[in-house]
Amino acid sequence: MKNTGLISAIIYTGISLLISGLFVIATLPGQYTSVDRIGGAVWVFILSMIILMPVIIPAVNRKLQ
Amino acid sequence: MAGSTEQFKKITLQVAGMTCASCVAHNEEALGSLPGVRKAVVNLATGKANVEYDPAKVTLADMRKAVADVGYEAVLDKVQLRIGGMSCQSCASNIESAVGALPGVGKVVVNFAAGSAGVEYAPEITSLSEIRKIVHELGYEVVEKVEGQEALDREREARQKEIRRQLIYLIISGTLGTLVMIGMLQPYWIFPAFIPAWLNNKVVLFFLTTPVVFGPGRQFFVNSWNGLRHGVTDMNLLYATGIGAAYGIAVINTFWPDAGFGGREATFYEAAALLTAFIILGRYLEAVTRGRTSEAIRRLMKLQPKRARVMRDNVEVEISAEDVQIDDIVVVRPGESLPVDGLVVEGYSSIDQSMITGESIPVEKKTGDEVIGGTINKTGAFKFRAIRVGKDTALAQIIKIVEEAQTTKAPIQKIADKVAGRFILGVHLLSLLTFLFWFFIGYSLWFTSESRLMLTPYSLSLVGAFGFALLISVTVLVISCPCAVGLATPSAIMAGTGKGAEYGILFKGADAMETTSKLKVVIFDKTGTLTKGEPSVTDVIAVKGNEKEVLHLAAVVEKNSEHPLASAIVKEARDRNIDLEDAEDFNAIPGQGVSARYGQSTILLGNRRFMAEQNISLEKLAADAERLEHEGKTAMFLAVDGVAAGIVAVADTLKPTSALAVQELHRMGIEVAMITGDNRRTADAIARQVGIDRVLSEVLPQDKANEVKKLQQEGMIVAMVGDGINDAPALAQADVGIAIGSGTDVAKETGNVILVKDDLLDVVAGIQVAKATIRKIKENLVWAFGYNTLAIPFGMGVLYPFVAQMVSPELAALLMATSSLSVTLNTLRMKGYVPPVRLQQFPTQVPHAAGLQPTS
Repeated sequence: MKNTGLISAIIYTGISLLISGLFVIATLPGQYTSVDRIGGAVWVFILSMIILMPVIIPAVNRKLQ
Repeated sequence: MAGSTEQFKKITLQVAGMTCASCVAHNEEALGSLPGVRKAVVNLATGKANVEYDPAKVTLADMRKAVADVGYEAVLDKVQLRIGGMSCQSCASNIESAVGALPGVGKVVVNFAAGSAGVEYAPEITSLSEIRKIVHELGYEVVEKVEGQEALDREREARQKEIRRQLIYLIISGTLGTLVMIGMLQPYWIFPAFIPAWLNNKVVLFFLTTPVVFGPGRQFFVNSWNGLRHGVTDMNLLYATGIGAAYGIAVINTFWPDAGFGGREATFYEAAALLTAFIILGRYLEAVTRGRTSEAIRRLMKLQPKRARVMRDNVEVEISAEDVQIDDIVVVRPGESLPVDGLVVEGYSSIDQSMITGESIPVEKKTGDEVIGGTINKTGAFKFRAIRVGKDTALAQIIKIVEEAQTTKAPIQKIADKVAGRFILGVHLLSLLTFLFWFFIGYSLWFTSESRLMLTPYSLSLVGAFGFALLISVTVLVISCPCAVGLATPSAIMAGTGKGAEYGILFKGADAMETTSKLKVVIFDKTGTLTKGEPSVTDVIAVKGNEKEVLHLAAVVEKNSEHPLASAIVKEARDRNIDLEDAEDFNAIPGQGVSARYGQSTILLGNRRFMAEQNISLEKLAADAERLEHEGKTAMFLAVDGVAAGIVAVADTLKPTSALAVQELHRMGIEVAMITGDNRRTADAIARQVGIDRVLSEVLPQDKANEVKKLQQEGMIVAMVGDGINDAPALAQADVGIAIGSGTDVAKETGNVILVKDDLLDVVAGIQVAKATIRKIKENLVWAFGYNTLAIPFGMGVLYPFVAQMVSPELAALLMATSSLSVTLNTLRMKGYVPPVRLQQFPTQVPHAAGLQPTS
């Protein structure tokens, strides 16, 4: 059970970080302030986590149980 | 399949902590994913989870853990036992380990000093009697307190506690939120003249808003975190992200004004505070609605008096109503409620049964008549012998049926719950996409320094791309929240089932109610349903003497016969006060008739064949006989001394409301059919009298179910109305089985809908209640979903490029609270509903034409 929790956490956190990273990369060509970049990345990370957690956790549970 | 069905058991768990439709989905998912659980249905309004499970594969502890894992608590029934005979602490320990080892017991605490034990248990798995038995086997005496009223009080207490809690939160957040709002408005228009400048100080506003966010608003953060930890999202998360983001921006702009979020002029403290206040307003309204819709059950429970007077050793003693035993003689005085069900043994009175049967007129009761617990004695004092007590009384059975119905889920609700569950995820996705759009595209294309939030004084001129996109993103989260969805269906179902119970119409489940609302065909059983089920004299024709003489002679010769037709003739004669002397030489010829001597005359009474064998000419009676037979009546010929004297016609007569009920059903566009074992001519005659379209005659009892099936195969949604016991297979086959006239035996019925009273108009009333309830559900869903869905584009900023104004998060919260308010008010409108057919019948007695009387 602990394993599934950890695996899920790694997956959804990893994907969320990836999306946030992509966001930051997308801001590079534009004239955005660092607040825009960092704030935006944090908000994108939060929303990505919220979206991914309920999708990833049951999927991993199903797969591993 | 039957075998596998048998191994599954059902359990109802009370789940605490649910606040929205997505909580329902989480619990259903958590319970449903357990190996051994076949079905899990959770109802938000009642807070109950109905689980079908295989006890060999899953235990109560597993189910409680699954519920706890998603952040809720499965609360068990609690009972307090008084235990006698304990001599030391080890006795208490023994009892604890023995009772604790029972499969349905969650917790047991024995208090040696107090001689009591508190047990938390699931009655569907381990009954109270099993617990008592095991304590008894250990050598102790055990008595439990009957807790019906106590349980009711506890439930009400819990509801009131929740209402009180939300009200306190509402007052705190509302008051502080208003202060913050006033403070924010201080620099504008004429307000500087009235509002002190310090109230606009951002640090003051910070100190006013922080208690709101971390006081009343804390519940959203805690609940959403609990859910997220288990991989589930609910509406709390929408609130938490919305409030958190608004508050976060405000704090940053207060203490780090140059951070690029719009500066000191864009501190949205009032957004965070009012957003919390409006969400709590919605919560408060929901809590109130939940309390209101369970009023029907509460009122039913209140009907049972707490005290009873019984005869013990020829002395009248007052005892608790719960202590009345079967065969106790209960004494009732005028104006008192009856404590249990029984049979009148002495005295005479009229009783108001409206609260149970829906009959508006008091019913006369004499020795031998049955009386129902919870009804009110109107006029005389009488005594009755208790025949059903405790959980077996009609009232207790009705409460159980209504309670069970309220925990079921209509198919429409299953869809709504599923959509709500996905909706939350969808909203976050939409919020993310909206953020990305406004951050990368919208801001650079349309942002102007004139930008404002609707209905607020703010200028957003200093807001950067992130702050701007974040505001819109948060607004989408808040505006989309379908928080009223959780209440939309169950509150209407609770109101509808309660309303049905007021009229003696018991729906056994929400699915029965939904199917009832869609009926296309109603099939009535003939005998005992459309008709009274017992023959009676309909016509007396005399060609020799007068009608009275013909009936007199017929009754005299039939006096000693036990044939049902004979009983009808004798009853009619007695009803007309005709003295019936004894006849001599009585002789019955099976299947033909009877003969006897009365005075100096020989009297014959029988059918056509009997008269032919006795060489009696029926020429003068032929036309009348044919007409009567065409009308479905049985013509009995009377001959005196070898000459035809008249006809006595006997038939099973229609109930008074049969024709009106059929007419009403037709008016509602429902096809009406009749099913009977009678021959075609009799069946047609009855059908003509009531105006029935389709007649299914000469159907053997065992074939009735097949006839129902044939209609279903034509694509019809079919209801079968009949006797719940004799017509059980047909009732079971029909989409909706309506058992009529069950009286006090509601628990024995097999139908999906049970009519306590023997009145066909209740079939019509039942359909009308079901239609009204489903209509209410649909309206509620429109309010709950439609409102938010329509508001989403505005939240996403579609108007912004044209008017440079955005919907503020607090305005979004207000819209959301309005949606909850609409659902609440719409459901509460059901309280005054009277089925139109009852409105026609008792126009002067509305709104409580029949059924439950309001309790003060």
